[in-house]
Amino acid sequence: MTSLAAASPGDVVAVTVYDPLRREDLVRYAEASGDTNPLHTDPAFARKAGFPDVIVHGMLTMALLGRLVTDNFPGRKVVGFSARFGAPLGVDEPITCRARLGGRDARGTTLELEAATGDRVVLTGRALLAPDDGRG
Amino acid sequence: MAINRRHVGYALPPFTVTVDPGRIAAFAHAIGERDPSASERVAPLTFMKVLEGEHGSSRKILEVLEVPLPRVLHAEQQFDYLAPIVPGQAVTVSRRVVDLYEKKGGAMEFIVIESVFTSEQAEVLGRSRQVVAVRNPSPGTRS
Repeated sequence: MTSLAAASPGDVVAVTVYDPLRREDLVRYAEASGDTNPLHTDPAFARKAGFPDVIVHGMLTMALLGRLVTDNFPGRKVVGFSARFGAPLGVDEPITCRARLGGRDARGTTLELEAATGDRVVLTGRALLAPDDGRG
Repeated sequence: MAINRRHVGYALPPFTVTVDPGRIAAFAHAIGERDPSASERVAPLTFMKVLEGEHGSSRKILEVLEVPLPRVLHAEQQFDYLAPIVPGQAVTVSRRVVDLYEKKGGAMEFIVIESVFTSEQAEVLGRSRQVVAVRNPSPGTRS
């Protein structure tokens, strides 16, 4: 892993392995966020929707990537943050979140983000940090 | 099922939410942030999704578009941050359907919803753009 200031595009600048999410974590997220879609809390509803079991809220996985950014680059102002939810993530699957340097330009520093369980990428995203001279 | 294209441009009545510090703390806890005292001062990056979902607004949009909940999946999400959203602040949320499109010959439809967050002084604090995927049953299949 390379520090953000020293990194070249493509270099990994932050990585965190988060504990697998449990059913009770999804219930707690549903209550705290107000996203009460039963796809994330009710196995029977999830099966009706075509999944073998409940799946993790995409917004919860995106929140973990948000933590990766704010925990690793404190003090850097985030001006944009986006995600594509490419594949479902189940409960009890470990989650590895990674940030790579995308590039630097007048708008700031772009980080390319991904969340994966094993080799399966479930989310790809991007964060734009405002320019901050001397710190990448 | 095809979503009626006349819904492009549909806007929910704007609503105002006061940012509750307890709500920020509970949300920060639910996403596993370690320092609740710090996170009470700063809303996590994805907290705008919580604000825009107030008053069941996301369900309301699906109802208006006549889309059954079991067929939807969150496909994409984007946030732009223009000014901080702080505890105690009154934030007005304006949401509208800005695009509808389909892929795979209509097997998948996509709803694009944009939200604008403004302060009481009408300053734009942020924007959110969401793409919802709707999975349609193939012809001849019972839903």
